[in-house]
Amino acid sequence: MLTLALVLMVVIPAVGGVLAGAFKGASSRGAAVTAAAATAALAAWATATVYGGAHAAAVGDMPWLGGPAATPVVGVLLDPLGSILLLVVTVIGLLTVVYSTRYLGMDNRDHRVPPTEHPRYYFWLLLFLASMVGVAISPNFLQLFFFWELTTVCSWALISYYRNEKSLAAGFKALVVTQVGGVFFLVALLILFARTGSFEFGALALLPDRLRLVVFVLLLLAAWAKAAQVPFHTWLPEAMEAPTPISAYLHAAAMVKAGVFLMARSVSSGWAMPVEVGMVMGAMAVLTLFIALTYYFVQDDLKRLLAYSTIAHLGYVLLGISLGALGSTVGFRGGVLHIICHGFAKATLFLCVGAIAYVTGSRSISALGGLAKTMPLTAAAFFVGVLAATGVPPFSCFWSKFMILSGAVQLGGAIGPVLLVLVLLESLIAFSWMVYVGQKVFFGERTPVACVNSDPPPAMSGVLVALMIGCLLAPAVGIPLVQWIGR
Amino acid sequence: MTSALLLQTCVLLLLGGALVSLACARNRALAGWVSVAFVAAACVPLARVVVNVFAGVAEGETVLLALPALPARLTVHVDALSAFFLVLTGVIALLSTLFSVRYMEHFEKDTVAKFYPVLLVFFASMVALLVVTDMLFFLVFWELMTLSSFFLVIFERERKDSQRAGLKYFVITHAATLCMIAGTLVLWRQAGSFSFAALQDSLGVLLAERAVVAHLVLFLFFVGFATKAGVLPMGDWLPDAHPAAPSGVSAALSGVLVKLGIYGLIRVFCSFLPVSAASDTWGVVLALAGTVSLFVGTLTALRQTDSKRLMAFHTIGQIGYICLGLGVGVACLRTSPTIAALALLGALFHAANHACFKACLFLGAGAVLHRTGERDMDRLGGLAASMPVTASSTTVAALSISGVPPFNGFTSKWLIVAACILGGLQHPLFLVLGLVGMFISLVTLASFLKVLGAVFMGARDESRSVKEVPLSMALPQVVLAALCVLLGVFPRLPLGVLRDAVASAVRIEVPGADALLGTGFGLGLTAGGLALAFWAPLVVVLALALGGALAYAIQRAGAAKVREVPVWTCGELDSAAAVRYPASSFYLPFKHAFAGIYPALHARVPQFPAALRRAFNVDTWLYRPVVRAVDGLARGVSRSHVGVPQVYLLWIAVGAVVVVAVMLALTR
Repeated sequence: MLTLALVLMVVIPAVGGVLAGAFKGASSRGAAVTAAAATAALAAWATATVYGGAHAAAVGDMPWLGGPAATPVVGVLLDPLGSILLLVVTVIGLLTVVYSTRYLGMDNRDHRVPPTEHPRYYFWLLLFLASMVGVAISPNFLQLFFFWELTTVCSWALISYYRNEKSLAAGFKALVVTQVGGVFFLVALLILFARTGSFEFGALALLPDRLRLVVFVLLLLAAWAKAAQVPFHTWLPEAMEAPTPISAYLHAAAMVKAGVFLMARSVSSGWAMPVEVGMVMGAMAVLTLFIALTYYFVQDDLKRLLAYSTIAHLGYVLLGISLGALGSTVGFRGGVLHIICHGFAKATLFLCVGAIAYVTGSRSISALGGLAKTMPLTAAAFFVGVLAATGVPPFSCFWSKFMILSGAVQLGGAIGPVLLVLVLLESLIAFSWMVYVGQKVFFGERTPVACVNSDPPPAMSGVLVALMIGCLLAPAVGIPLVQWIGR
Repeated sequence: MTSALLLQTCVLLLLGGALVSLACARNRALAGWVSVAFVAAACVPLARVVVNVFAGVAEGETVLLALPALPARLTVHVDALSAFFLVLTGVIALLSTLFSVRYMEHFEKDTVAKFYPVLLVFFASMVALLVVTDMLFFLVFWELMTLSSFFLVIFERERKDSQRAGLKYFVITHAATLCMIAGTLVLWRQAGSFSFAALQDSLGVLLAERAVVAHLVLFLFFVGFATKAGVLPMGDWLPDAHPAAPSGVSAALSGVLVKLGIYGLIRVFCSFLPVSAASDTWGVVLALAGTVSLFVGTLTALRQTDSKRLMAFHTIGQIGYICLGLGVGVACLRTSPTIAALALLGALFHAANHACFKACLFLGAGAVLHRTGERDMDRLGGLAASMPVTASSTTVAALSISGVPPFNGFTSKWLIVAACILGGLQHPLFLVLGLVGMFISLVTLASFLKVLGAVFMGARDESRSVKEVPLSMALPQVVLAALCVLLGVFPRLPLGVLRDAVASAVRIEVPGADALLGTGFGLGLTAGGLALAFWAPLVVVLALALGGALAYAIQRAGAAKVREVPVWTCGELDSAAAVRYPASSFYLPFKHAFAGIYPALHARVPQFPAALRRAFNVDTWLYRPVVRAVDGLARGVSRSHVGVPQVYLLWIAVGAVVVVAVMLALTR
């Protein structure tokens, strides 16, 4: 039953995507929303059913890939780690689809999209949803790799959705960079299979020391490319050429999380990550935090600002995971918790920017001002998003950041205090700048650009309300789930 | 019902009130009255809890929520110290909400949806943080308080100065909270739990084993709480933020929010810190910080002409007094419990008194602002005739804050100064600090004579008609002014209650109320059986009344004539309002003498060197060159594809030869 539900979670959005692509107009939208809603409902049910344990089952086999270990290659696995990603992907996916039903259209002052273009959008979006669910419930590296590459393709198609020169270039760049990461992943996979005859996550622990180091480094490179970490961070800001719901979903909540999810999987399956790799991962995560931070102050495009913030937050997740690799379970849990907490916070922010662009046609920080008067709901959502993302209690990211910091302190030695100071410093600067930008955009005198509008239509406003609640409640769902992760 | 249940009811009522007032925000008056009703309803269970605590009903900690992943537990426990601050919160919350109902008419264009709900969440967070005994949840509620008050400070968000004030407030206090998070985590590592009791033990262990780390942790907590309390120099946010908020909120900020910083300081330095040489040191630090605040804050207040900004600087000054008393108390804990108890009593009593008179003053300033639209005292004058209630309650509060007997400010300052002098016998520094405190009391009086003189006295501006504020705005002021008088004239009852609060806060045995304050008439300070000081407010009141009556009788008997003459303006014809003595003309020599005492700093957006960003931009120096190189290579290769079949055949032939050669070489 559970296995069937898990398989259906991949099949439903895929079929829904094909239908949405084949239909036109309202039936296309209807198919998309129905498929996404069904997936989200199944995900919630499956998570609740599995809560506290794990469910693994084989679905099919490829004998010619069986290898000496003879384990089935196709199957499903739902454990607390997967549940976290599954919930982020399906719930925010549903909200994104609902939001998109109004965002795409001729009323959008940022980008008018004629109805003939809609089915293509929903097809790729739902295919992406299906492949992300696949990533979350993959029981081994091979299947994970398959869905991982599928997300890359969807990402390319959606970034280039507007088909103008800039978006085509951005889509190509994203494709190339993440594909390079995918190649590293593939090489790691081949080494693993050649050596152990298995694609299982646990097989990592069976590798000899030297080779394990190599495999982990390759996986780390793959994760960095996918999660836009330094030095592969440059594709993400360019990817902001995509429609805003896509930026919210793919490039903040879901797809980039696939990279950190791979790392979380690799580390937590056997806790066999060599300490050196863990150190490098943590150090690069902190470096990423600060490099991303330096870009904050020169951004005028709200979406690019959020993109850099996303880069920094993925750094937080990797920092937490590296703490886990170095021996702190609390830090690891914090990192995983950050996936869901940041997912909601950043989706809120992006969709707010989408709402602003929808009604004003502008995303420029310098051109906007005084929006709170006409868009009170969007203003509230934006500030909730800012507070949630920068980790102000009681909102979501506070809890995950706090757990990451606890993990850092728990490690002891010089690492704890140094990380404590660096992370808190980054938090403070990011917080100050985000609040400043929020004030600039929403408070003060109304600028000419900001004069003619009101809150976005109900479908979009409703999504913002749901996300605000998510910003508050994400830890309440996440903390009970992550407490089952650990050695 | 248990305390935990009562407190949950209280917090839920406040949060429910927030939702209801949000729902009916379209009707301004309704939203206001609904908020008042909910705050009043929430005060009932709160009062019950407080009464239980002071009646001595013992209750253990109640666990409301557990997070085993961390591990942290949401535990609730009310001791006498929390109960005391709960009283402050309840009283000021109710009065400032009541005041705000009519006051918010002032902001016609702004919706009240961004006011009442936030205000109620603000109160709920304060109640919650006072009763939790788990540091993680304390920090959560603490920051919830900060962020809700931030949205109250930037209520007038169109104004640039409000935005600046709000941002400054939020950033500075958030930085302080991050300091506290760091300190908490260091202690947590030792303790493995966030409960107050565990952190207390781990601080003791840390102090014994790694004193440097322990002092660092204490410093982090000091910065965290002192920032919120408004102790200079970290309290620099206060003079901007308090005036920017609507007056009811200013009263709540000054009356309660900054006091919660004091609450935190007491928890850390009295409850957590073991009585040892370290507590002596930190006592001196606290006392010095307090003295700097009261000196700089009050002297800077003297220079202000904006009424609310002036009050805000006085908040810094009065918090300085509290901090001074606290510091003397902490420093004397080890050597002399009696002096320590007296100093802490003084500090707590001053906290209560400050809540009364400063809230009253802010409400008074708000009432004037409401009716005249002015905060600039240079443009006000002669309001005593048209706003008698506001004028008289402000006068009472002004005399209280200046420490004029028999009002409440005198009693608490008397206790603090007495403790300073007694403590000075052991540590001469405290003697000096006490003298500074006494001197600054005088400056406070001067400053408030300016306020009274400039705003309420003098010639009236005939061009505008000013009425007294409505009952719902006058009542809170009158209640607070009455409290100022009552607490001053009958200090024994509140001090007896506060003695329990002190006893629950410190880790040593505190002498009973009778031993501290004497059993007889008035307050008699005794130490070691020796009567040291005596203060009987009723006697003084009677004497003052008698003297006043006598003076009046003499005046009547002498039938002295009062002659009123207009101000001579050298023959120029000016209105009386134009030639009255303005606030900015008061105390000019003083202002010149202390001109540089409060330097202004301006923060600017950080400028990262462009070279650094170029270095980080991997695209330009790595990826694009690589892509170009690959592209060039591909072009070079493609040049060999000339489109002539013969050439391709040649390639095939050459290739075949090469392959065969390689095969031969390998198989040989």
